[in-house]
Amino acid sequence: MTAMITRRPLSVPDDALALLHQKLALAHLPDELDSARGDYGVPLADVRRLVARWRDGFDWRAAERRINDLPQFTRDVEVEGYGALNVHYVHQRSGVEGAVPLLFVHGWPGHFLEVRKLLPLLTAASPEHPSFHVVALSLPGFGFSEGPKKKGFKSKQYAEVANKLMTSLGYEHYVIQGGDWGHYIAGYTATHYAHTNVRGWLSNYTHALPPRLLSSPWLYFLDLVTPYTAREKEGLRRSREFQARGSGYSQEQATQPQTLGYSLADSPVGLLAWIYEKLVSWSDDYAWEDDEVLEWVSIYWFSRAGPAASLRIYLENTDRLEKRAVEDIKWTSIPLGYSIFPKELNQAPKTWLRTLGNVVFYSLHDSGGHFAAHERPEVLADDIRKMFGRGGPAFGVVPGKNGYA
Amino acid sequence: MAPIVTDSEQPFTLSVPQSDLDFLKKKLELVRFPDELDDAGWNYGVPLSDMRRLVTHWKDKFDWRAAEADINLLPMFTRDVTVDNFGTLNIHYVHQRSEVPNAIPLLFVHGWPGHFLEARKLLSYLSAASPDHPSFHVVAPDLPGFGFSEAPTKRGFAAHQYAEVLNKLMLALGYEEYVYQGGDWGHAIGRHIATIYGHKHLKAWHSNLPIPTKPTLFAHPLAFLRDLLPYSRTTREGLRATAEYRATGMGYLAEQSTKPQTIGYLIADSPVGLLAWIYEKLVEWSDSYPWTDDEVLEWVSIYWFSRAGPAASLRIYYEMAGGSGRLEKGAAKGAKWTSVPLGLSYFPRELFHLPKWWAPTLGKVVYAEEHDEGGHFAAYEQPGALAEDLRRMFGRRGPAYGVVPGKNGYASIGSRREAVNSQ
Repeated sequence: MTAMITRRPLSVPDDALALLHQKLALAHLPDELDSARGDYGVPLADVRRLVARWRDGFDWRAAERRINDLPQFTRDVEVEGYGALNVHYVHQRSGVEGAVPLLFVHGWPGHFLEVRKLLPLLTAASPEHPSFHVVALSLPGFGFSEGPKKKGFKSKQYAEVANKLMTSLGYEHYVIQGGDWGHYIAGYTATHYAHTNVRGWLSNYTHALPPRLLSSPWLYFLDLVTPYTAREKEGLRRSREFQARGSGYSQEQATQPQTLGYSLADSPVGLLAWIYEKLVSWSDDYAWEDDEVLEWVSIYWFSRAGPAASLRIYLENTDRLEKRAVEDIKWTSIPLGYSIFPKELNQAPKTWLRTLGNVVFYSLHDSGGHFAAHERPEVLADDIRKMFGRGGPAFGVVPGKNGYA
Repeated sequence: MAPIVTDSEQPFTLSVPQSDLDFLKKKLELVRFPDELDDAGWNYGVPLSDMRRLVTHWKDKFDWRAAEADINLLPMFTRDVTVDNFGTLNIHYVHQRSEVPNAIPLLFVHGWPGHFLEARKLLSYLSAASPDHPSFHVVAPDLPGFGFSEAPTKRGFAAHQYAEVLNKLMLALGYEEYVYQGGDWGHAIGRHIATIYGHKHLKAWHSNLPIPTKPTLFAHPLAFLRDLLPYSRTTREGLRATAEYRATGMGYLAEQSTKPQTIGYLIADSPVGLLAWIYEKLVEWSDSYPWTDDEVLEWVSIYWFSRAGPAASLRIYYEMAGGSGRLEKGAAKGAKWTSVPLGLSYFPRELFHLPKWWAPTLGKVVYAEEHDEGGHFAAYEQPGALAEDLRRMFGRRGPAYGVVPGKNGYASIGSRREAVNSQ
């Protein structure tokens, strides 16, 4: 079936690059209030500097060449009701034959490149820790995957794509690591394919809802009687703050993604501001370099389906805010682990996290934010190794592939 | 009394530099559209076919200079108004005098995404003279940061400041006592003007977007008791529609009240993005108003060519919420119940439909009218109906007749002689 699989080096057409530069040359910036700092949104000085760099200094072709050092492919994945979607992914095998197959799932405004720093760590062979075969896809509508053309592409469909990709690569059984939408999609994939295919998952996005009496009576009871730790209280405070002051973007994306999409498709400056705000405010003192930011945003600008397509996941998976995305994750008994970073946006207490699965692993960290794979790759890799390695709570979940030579 | 023209008042002629027009065209020529899901309709936002059509029209057909010339037929001015701690702001306004000297001075206040032109159709209705209805001198400014008014450059320009700048504008025009009509932000600002300048300067006001609160036992016992009775189907339907709007219709507001600068970059750099952002509201918030492409593009062009740029217009959301992100509470903070006579108009496609007996929590309601058609942009969609409401409220048999001493809105027998003598 090699005909379906294409080795896919990234190559943005010249005219797309030219259009970007024409637009940047016409950049039209707003003013800013005195002493606005970061309180009203991205500071003007940052946007000015980044736009100038994007226009005059940032070398996309060089970035592209470096991205093409990664083993990227595309293949058609059939999705019931949606036809075949051409899915882009990185597939890095370990030298260890019995490495654990691991699917890495990004979120918004993330993309497949978030796996970049993890790859050498996860695929490295050592008697001290397990090794992984890593698959990192561009979600449908993101990066270099096709987007669905029809309405209603929701949790079940994302799970189907994830599972079919892994099984078509010969990974009948695998584990998942995800944050942001990757957390939800890992949960959806577990919901639909636990045991038969998915054997365990590790999330770095600690979002869950309080246990409900009827669906999780034991956890409901525990939640009532167990005092929250200081850390959990702080996590709840951060969550409330995020919901009150940091989630305007998600309300818009979940209700009017097309309207917002016109700006993001037409204005590289707007796209830059929209994404950069999150890169900075969601990370923990991460020292973003301008070229790093511009490479990141360029992926969105040059994405196959366009930046507007990436917003639709918010509307689809919340039914236009009629429900919470997390509601489509049903408890399963496969091992679930959490890597918990203090500057994450939503931090639910343990009793809530346990509603999503059979939690066997918690790892609490003292630093790090939302983009864990990018900010703290060694720490996240370490958690993955601890959970799935010898002596870990999910050791050997994938039959015949325990991660060791 | 003729308006006092102080030193800083200047007649205003709108004249967008040709270079700005050329720049807009260059931007539109480079447009990059997103794709769209099959059969998306309006369920994901503005439909792509509408956008393609409007952008092409804006680029190739829409005649801004013709629109500008029409706008310049309005009696427009600018003047400097000083706001405590914010310095001087140059405010743009329409000032339409009635031929009736004792016409009632009326301040019309727009909201977002509105501007001074929302008053356009009302002007002739309100300033018309007749023995059968009162007449008004109409002042329709651009709020600071909107249209052709300057924007504040410092943080914290909020309810108190909006009230101050508007009250000072009326005083500077020689209107010591005046009445008021507003919707959208005009409603919230009206509450604050009533609180701070009620009775002394503001003699009565009218809102077409009443957002009352639930009555409490001690403050409004009768309304409270009424509230205990089962709600009618109409009331429940209204509350349901309001809840749905609050849950799913306020994405723009959540962003604008927390990160106005961020969303500002999008609409400042992309006229296409700005068009979508505003057009969505023009359509979704009006009652099937048959917008022509030229109408929409003129409306959005005001934002694109605005003096402070479109991003500045969003800051009112942040400031009125006090940066807390909680706008409804923030916008009402400091507004008090007053006995300044208040009139309300209820239009069926407005965004909020709270029980009518809650209205007394806003002020001393002396007039209320319900309509069969019309939406959020009442002055633009239903100018005749809104004008009729104001005439009834302030007319000879109306509950607010004569609130402005000496200016009942009617030509009196001696008035021409008075007018001559006063010059």
